[in-house]
Amino acid sequence: MNKQLFHYKGSKVLIILVGILTVAQAITIIFQAIYLSEAIVKMFKGTAWSAVLPSFYGFIVTYMLRHFFQWAKERLAYRFADQTSLFIQQLLVRKLFELGPRGIGKQGSGNMITLCLEGIPNFRKYLELFIPRSIATVCIPVVLLIYILIVDMTSAIVLAVVMPIMIVFLVLLGLMAQKQMDAQWDTYQLLSRHFVDSLRGLATLKYLGQSKVHQDAIETVSNKYRIATNRTLRVAFLSTFSLDFFASLSVAIVAVELGLRLIDGHIGFEAALAILILAPEYFLPVRDLGNDYHATMDGKEAGEKIHELLEKETYASGDSEISVPQWHEESTLSVEQLTKSSDEEERLLLKNISFQVSGFKKVGIVGMSGAGKSTLIDILSGFSHPTDGKIMMDETNLAHLSLQDWQKQVTYVPQHPYIFAGTIAENISLYEPNSSREKIEQAAEMTGLIDLIKSLPSGLDEKIGQGGRSLSGGEEQRIALARGVLQGRPIMLVDEPTAHLDIETEHEIKSMMLPLLENKLVFFATHRLHWMRNMDVILVLEDGQLVEKGTHDELYHQKGAYYRLINAQRGGSAE
Amino acid sequence: MNLFRIYVAPYLKQFKWLMGVTIFLGVLTALAASMLTFTSGYLITSASEMPATILLLQIPIVGVRTFGISRAVTRYLERLTGHNAVLKILADMRVKLYGMLEPQALFIRSRFQTGDIIGTLADDIEHLQDVYIRTIFPTIIALFLFVYTISILALFDWVFALWMAFCLSIIVFVYPLLSLFFLKKQQMELKEKRSRLYQTFTDALFGLSDWIISGKKERFIKKFTLESQESHRIEKRMAFWNQSRAFQLQVLSGLILIIVGVWAGYAAQAGEIMPTYIAAFTLVTLPILEGMAPLSQAMERIPVYQDSLQRIENIRQNVPVETAVTEKTEVSIHPKVLFHEVSYRYIGEKENALQHVSFSIPYGQKIALLGKSGSGKSTLLQLLQGALSQNTGTVSIHGQHPEAYKENIYKLLSVLNQKPYLFATTVENNIRLGNKEATAEEVAEVIKQVKLDHYIRSLPKGIQTQMEETGQRFSGGERQRIALARILLKNTPIVILDEPTVGLDPQTEADLLETMFSALKDKTIILITHHLIGIEKMDQIIFLDKGQVTMSGTHNQLMETSERYRQLYLLDRGEG
Repeated sequence: MNKQLFHYKGSKVLIILVGILTVAQAITIIFQAIYLSEAIVKMFKGTAWSAVLPSFYGFIVTYMLRHFFQWAKERLAYRFADQTSLFIQQLLVRKLFELGPRGIGKQGSGNMITLCLEGIPNFRKYLELFIPRSIATVCIPVVLLIYILIVDMTSAIVLAVVMPIMIVFLVLLGLMAQKQMDAQWDTYQLLSRHFVDSLRGLATLKYLGQSKVHQDAIETVSNKYRIATNRTLRVAFLSTFSLDFFASLSVAIVAVELGLRLIDGHIGFEAALAILILAPEYFLPVRDLGNDYHATMDGKEAGEKIHELLEKETYASGDSEISVPQWHEESTLSVEQLTKSSDEEERLLLKNISFQVSGFKKVGIVGMSGAGKSTLIDILSGFSHPTDGKIMMDETNLAHLSLQDWQKQVTYVPQHPYIFAGTIAENISLYEPNSSREKIEQAAEMTGLIDLIKSLPSGLDEKIGQGGRSLSGGEEQRIALARGVLQGRPIMLVDEPTAHLDIETEHEIKSMMLPLLENKLVFFATHRLHWMRNMDVILVLEDGQLVEKGTHDELYHQKGAYYRLINAQRGGSAE
Repeated sequence: MNLFRIYVAPYLKQFKWLMGVTIFLGVLTALAASMLTFTSGYLITSASEMPATILLLQIPIVGVRTFGISRAVTRYLERLTGHNAVLKILADMRVKLYGMLEPQALFIRSRFQTGDIIGTLADDIEHLQDVYIRTIFPTIIALFLFVYTISILALFDWVFALWMAFCLSIIVFVYPLLSLFFLKKQQMELKEKRSRLYQTFTDALFGLSDWIISGKKERFIKKFTLESQESHRIEKRMAFWNQSRAFQLQVLSGLILIIVGVWAGYAAQAGEIMPTYIAAFTLVTLPILEGMAPLSQAMERIPVYQDSLQRIENIRQNVPVETAVTEKTEVSIHPKVLFHEVSYRYIGEKENALQHVSFSIPYGQKIALLGKSGSGKSTLLQLLQGALSQNTGTVSIHGQHPEAYKENIYKLLSVLNQKPYLFATTVENNIRLGNKEATAEEVAEVIKQVKLDHYIRSLPKGIQTQMEETGQRFSGGERQRIALARILLKNTPIVILDEPTVGLDPQTEADLLETMFSALKDKTIILITHHLIGIEKMDQIIFLDKGQVTMSGTHNQLMETSERYRQLYLLDRGEG
């Protein structure tokens, strides 16, 4: 992670600038102490005010400069952190697009949202604090120590000795706390999750008649959690304690030792006072670093996660280099020896799939769960690249279908079409934002949305999606189809559109949808075999292999894989 | 402020001793820091006068050492007691929140649709610790320091004390209030921008395939970048404001230090204080001001707390008033379910959700309930559980209205829904939730009934396997089976299966239904379903549409009499 720090744009400049400012700050701290002690000594000696005031002027000027440097440092660091985090966020968003829907699903959409929107501010915080704090911890004590060494060797030795001891203690106690945390981690996790877990399962608890009793469990676990946390905190706070302890103890030692030597006349009053003022400043940067440590940890972690993700190998989606001709009645798509291996496991998701389709055909894709239907659709839609094999369109050889020219011809209808926050009209015209009102209405008409629209107070302008009216599964499917109608693209990829719908809605959607499949190249993956009667050709997948190919009637009479599939689904009760 | 009176003030009272000790320790810490500087300033000055014997310095030397050590100790203790108090409060808040949500358990999903309300609420409770640790404690300590400083100064010179009171007020009152007002506006604006950003991003991520296929990726990235920049700009403005405020406060502190220094000089000349105290008074200024500086930060957080509290309050507002029904405790083992001319309308709706629905289920019958979304299936289930009460008609289980059973209703019926929740504990504990007194044999028996015995035996830890660890390993069908085992252990006469197979592939669906029916063969089953698989075995089939029964009868009856049913049936079998 720290290595990456130097690669961010502007980080080197920032380090140099902050370094210069910090040294300047250290110098002003010294002068501020000198002027202040001078003023006090003059007042103590009863010197005339005209002589005292210049020292105060000197103090206030250096004091203000010192804080001005601090201000400048923070501002520069923030600016850098802000720009870098914005830049990284953009990279991250692009990466997410390259990972595609399946890749994001694996990471967990929720995690990705949190990383991109919460992780980035945390990461910014880390960048903002880490550089100035680290530089200050090194520079300020060193510069101050040099000055003290010149003025008074004994004090310098005390301070120089305490610092490493303090750091050793800090590290040791930190490790101890970590060890204790690790030892209790499982219990800790279990206890801390218990509450959220209980709330999420509240309905289930209610069904089981346990919800009232469970209130006691919440209390017991919360208290156990408190006791466990207290135990951990006792150790965890020790590191701050050690910082405080050594810092104030050594100030006390320096003060007493200065006092004793003042009596003997080994050191002047003014010098002693200046050292006394400088002693706490010597420890300040380390204490700041210690106090901010936990605040920056989240950001550091977020940064690591982001970089891990950014380093994942992906291919750019929507390649616009290769041109793909428009699909028409005479076009032919040949897939030869198509193979796809799984990213995580040593397993082939698709094995040597070969088929050929031409013109406007409806191609059904069926098979058991895990047979490779979705993988095939993913490759056909260009969300993922095949590991091996050839895809040819007419004479053009295409390695994959992540091509802008191909995707421009495709309408994709997934099982759960996403409804964006916006009006119905906006949702329908998602792909074609400049569509006319009539065209949108026409699309709504064709997909049977018109009744719904008429029943809504604002009609086409009714807000749907998050924060708006929620739609049923059937209505969502109609919106997705309306999107497709509006575009009139020649290729349609359909992935399990009706399995989650109730049978009546499915029936309605089917009769509405069938005409929309005409005059298109359609790939239709589903478990619901009734669709297959309307397909021109059916591809039957089994364990990633293409085992049968043909029409419903052919395959049914063949009594092979397709026939078995039909029977299995009838729950074995088929006559 | 009202919210603070409900959710914060009672705890201040309840834990007044712990709070008191924490604040006392906090004050001691601040005083020790100041006194360390004060006595060491005094010590050095006295020493510079070269007293004849070191004994004269004995007292300040002891003082310096004591304060040097005690500051770290009191701070450590302060943090521990503070956290202990706050964790106690959080434990209580969790119980309270649970108590508010429990009566509305069946409505959470429909009432609070937006986002992950449960996660947000749990976070809100965690954030409430800042109310005490970052706002209340520092504020009281700072105010104490303020009063204390002024009082001490007044002992020497009350005119100067007044003058100081004025100067310090800028730090203690003016800046914090200014921060509160200035930042509140920014925070509101930021919140709005961020929630829009969330919306844009969530939409993009869930609709990713649409963005990719549509070829409008760049359009989205541009939009997102612009929105992100906007919220970053506000955050930057706030950060810069904070940095400038810190600078201004520092300059102010420097000026106050000079004022104190000059006063000490004058006072020494006038003989009001000993000259040996000049350094002490001058130097103590900064540590005291340091104790007051956190006030601005403490105040600016208030709007954030208000947000969290408001969310909790919204939940509280929805807690239903307990109806005064005498609880019916005895439950029949062979209950009959009856719906007669039942109608129900949700408050504020124009149409009835259920309209004149009648059917009866003798004990042991299996019925299937079908209908599109919004047809009234869920309403019917809520009525059956006594969570809602019909407007007209009769709903009864064994002659009693479901509401009369109160919590005992779940001794009569169990519900297996689409996504039964499995808790983050062992498989065994999850199953035992059905009946905590069950013997090991009984648990083994239900596992066998749901046909998980082989699978669970193959796991290294058997039934002691944690649900979480293998969250990935348990498939949708297996999770349903575990939930089913739980219900079998509970052994109620009526079981409601609420679309238990949605999202499963047909093969798994068929197997699971088969297991369910064989395990529950003696019980009344109410199956809400979206497919017709296994429908032949049902004693009654009821179709609902817009709150009305549109078709009902056995499979054979419907096949003979209803063309529509025949169509649907063939479709489902892949023959349509």
